[in-house]
Amino acid sequence: MAADFAGVVGVLADAGVEAIVIGGLAAQAHGSARITQDTDFLYRRTSDNINRLAAALSPHRPYLRGAPPGLPFRFEPATIKRGLNFTLTTALGDIDLLGEVVGIGDYESVVSHTLRLSVFGRELLVVDLPTLIQSKRAAGRPKDLEAIAELEALLAERERAG
Amino acid sequence: MSSGDEEILRRFGFEPDPVIEAYKKEVDRTLLRENLRRTPEERCRNFLAAYRLAEEVRRAGATVRGG
Repeated sequence: MAADFAGVVGVLADAGVEAIVIGGLAAQAHGSARITQDTDFLYRRTSDNINRLAAALSPHRPYLRGAPPGLPFRFEPATIKRGLNFTLTTALGDIDLLGEVVGIGDYESVVSHTLRLSVFGRELLVVDLPTLIQSKRAAGRPKDLEAIAELEALLAERERAG
Repeated sequence: MSSGDEEILRRFGFEPDPVIEAYKKEVDRTLLRENLRRTPEERCRNFLAAYRLAEEVRRAGATVRGG
């Protein structure tokens, strides 16, 4: 289904969820010209934050993306604590909630490499451009090659522009 | 590689990768320069508009195909 990017951002921000925008949406905030369908967040794995995250998303019918229907999946704090990275479908569209990202680590590792940016009218932490490139390079996925090339060109253009 | 990219990448701790460099030749830098003139909020709004347009076209295509 089509992603409601602004809706997702609003739900998490309004609930006070500590999360860092990463992936394609972060690339957009930095100036990428590629259309993405990714709504990826690196969330903080403290009990309070996990409770906020579960409460914020539960009304939007989160379910494991690609899983057969009818599984007894409930996006509740215990589920989040037992797991780490969740690829979900929700009434707001697909959302990836990551507790850890290859190459850059968890929320605590990344938070010092973020910028506070206005995204869809909300102030959010967005991973900085070099750290975004680092994560894409570390993932080593062939599908990311075009995206990495663009992000590196973007970094160079940004630096040249001062 | 555009002149000076290599030096900038190394400044940020990245060793230029020949495979990525091959893809970089296809990057339209004029679009990136335009985007860099915008605020992050403007970039996200423009992206949303482009995404919605793409979704609309996708939906229209599915309708024509009887999907």
